[in-house]
Amino acid sequence: MAAAAQRKPVSLKVASLVFIVIWLMVAAFPFFWTLWGSFKVELDFFSIADWTNALTGDLTKETYGRPFTGAGYYGAWVQEEFWRAALNTFIVCFFVVVTSLTIGTLGGYALSRSGHNYVFWLLIAALIFRAMPPITLVSGYLPPFFQWNLWGYLPTAIIVLVAINQPFTLWMLHSFFQKIPKDLDESAKVDGCTQFQAFRFVIIPVMWPGVITTGLFSFLLAYNDFAVTAMLLNEQNRTMVPKIAAFLGTTYTEGNVMFAVAAVVSATVPLFLLVMVFQRQIVSGLTAGAVKG
Amino acid sequence: MAEIQLKNVSKRWGSFIGVDNFDLTIADREFLVLLGPSGCGKTTTMRMIAGLEEATGGEIIIGDQVVNDLEPKDRDIAMVFQSYGLYPNMNVYENIRFPLKVRKVDPATHDERVMRAADMVELREFLHRKPAELSGGQRQRVALARAIVREPNVFLMDEPLSNLDAKLRVSTRAQIKNLQHELKVTTIYVTHDQIEAMTLADRVVVMQRGVIQQVGSPTEIYDRPANTFVAAFIGSPAMNLMEGTLSGGVFTSDHVRIAGLTGPDGPITLGFRAEDAAVAHDSTDTEISAPVYTMELLGDATMITVKAGGALVSVKANKDYRIEIDETVGLHIPAEICHLFHHETGARLDG
Repeated sequence: MAAAAQRKPVSLKVASLVFIVIWLMVAAFPFFWTLWGSFKVELDFFSIADWTNALTGDLTKETYGRPFTGAGYYGAWVQEEFWRAALNTFIVCFFVVVTSLTIGTLGGYALSRSGHNYVFWLLIAALIFRAMPPITLVSGYLPPFFQWNLWGYLPTAIIVLVAINQPFTLWMLHSFFQKIPKDLDESAKVDGCTQFQAFRFVIIPVMWPGVITTGLFSFLLAYNDFAVTAMLLNEQNRTMVPKIAAFLGTTYTEGNVMFAVAAVVSATVPLFLLVMVFQRQIVSGLTAGAVKG
Repeated sequence: MAEIQLKNVSKRWGSFIGVDNFDLTIADREFLVLLGPSGCGKTTTMRMIAGLEEATGGEIIIGDQVVNDLEPKDRDIAMVFQSYGLYPNMNVYENIRFPLKVRKVDPATHDERVMRAADMVELREFLHRKPAELSGGQRQRVALARAIVREPNVFLMDEPLSNLDAKLRVSTRAQIKNLQHELKVTTIYVTHDQIEAMTLADRVVVMQRGVIQQVGSPTEIYDRPANTFVAAFIGSPAMNLMEGTLSGGVFTSDHVRIAGLTGPDGPITLGFRAEDAAVAHDSTDTEISAPVYTMELLGDATMITVKAGGALVSVKANKDYRIEIDETVGLHIPAEICHLFHHETGARLDG
């Protein structure tokens, strides 16, 4: 039995339960609604006559003989080549994560071990760049990219994403590195390591949780980015998020909206899995630097 | 063979002087202890020898090589850190083996050497544990084993015992002393604990504010402190220091009159150790006569403290001795046990 002090009055229990249920509905309902609706036809999901059609799927049954249909998915993935966007997203995310982690770990380590004053100002500058909306950077990039004929390619978007991402990864890794005592570097150096070997053999193995957490965040940023990818990539090279936006932009063709809905579900599922697997790292990442500045 | 020579080694940060003109030769196989209060530059000196801190002046010579510009790894030293500096992702075995691995020592010999080092510090049964699963004392022994596994020319130990509890400190201290004796390696040991310094050292260097105060064997430092700083720093309790005037070989101050001294007339600082003095038998051998400030039972002795000569003066009495606070006590301070210091500079006065 719980101690008397820990026992809560029934009314409070009920109230908190009700609150959680309501909150869960508000927060999670759109996702479930989208998931459910993605297996219907457009006229059901966006029915003007009767919203319950979206639940029962009358028109879907009329068209395909079953209340559920994979037509949206087929249309998106095969007909509209959403797989290409998925592949592009994968390429972009992979290279953004790898590049920003490489620079971030080296830079964050160097900054955390440097005793100079400029470290503080560098980090403040990084924070300022991080605070700026990405679109402000993109508009500056556009003219030279057009001029040099770099516009539209994946590497261009990767470079820009890394540039936007870097201040944040640097900041985050710096605070992780600061938690690792300097004694560790020093004992490695006395034991016979060069500075780089100390980093490679001693610090990085201890840093894995920090690297994974930062990598996750930079993955999420690249994965979810719209401003950069929408502005900088041509139609061939689009990643998933601008592709979904493109589906939505052509609503006058029937079915296209359903492609978007199906694509949204397809793009969300990996995120769900990722967050569920790495929830611990993500939480620690959110609180990292909370007490240290 | 590794004699270490420090020639006018200095460390400055801007205008702040960490270590000032440190000049010392450390003999091969010597156990040298750097002793001083925190911030006296002892750790900085050691870190300069290790190569973790750059000397801003002077020369550091290990063996016959000037090492000022060498990386720590090229100086053939091993260091034990205050916080142990163990690699948390490796188990004890891998921790001890790490120096051999990075230095590309023939892998065939690794196992034997790790085992030998582990045996020396009695760690064999913990080889497969991670540092997090060890107690403080065990971690410290891993750090020691990692230092000895490579058989370096010089051991550096930075307050290795200060994170251990009192009991463990005593046994680990003995172990370090024994290890050093067995391995016959030049050792530099930093501590702020004077008992560690007394028990371990062949020679002690007492430092204050970056300056060497005295270099000598533990007995020399204890028996003939070079100045009031050393006198007050070494010993438990510290040496009693009284301000007063000397005239014609007689030291006088409030409640104090000590005759038979040799020294210049005028203001002077007089010191003596609590254990050298005693409670007076009668008024003829009473040099201090004052009301008791406090009486402490130490178990093996009774400590009587009085206010005399502008300071609290303690004297060790027989363990059965009892007296009440405020009762007047006579203390016997023969002239032979007294040390005279300059009243301003604090420097020792007799030859």
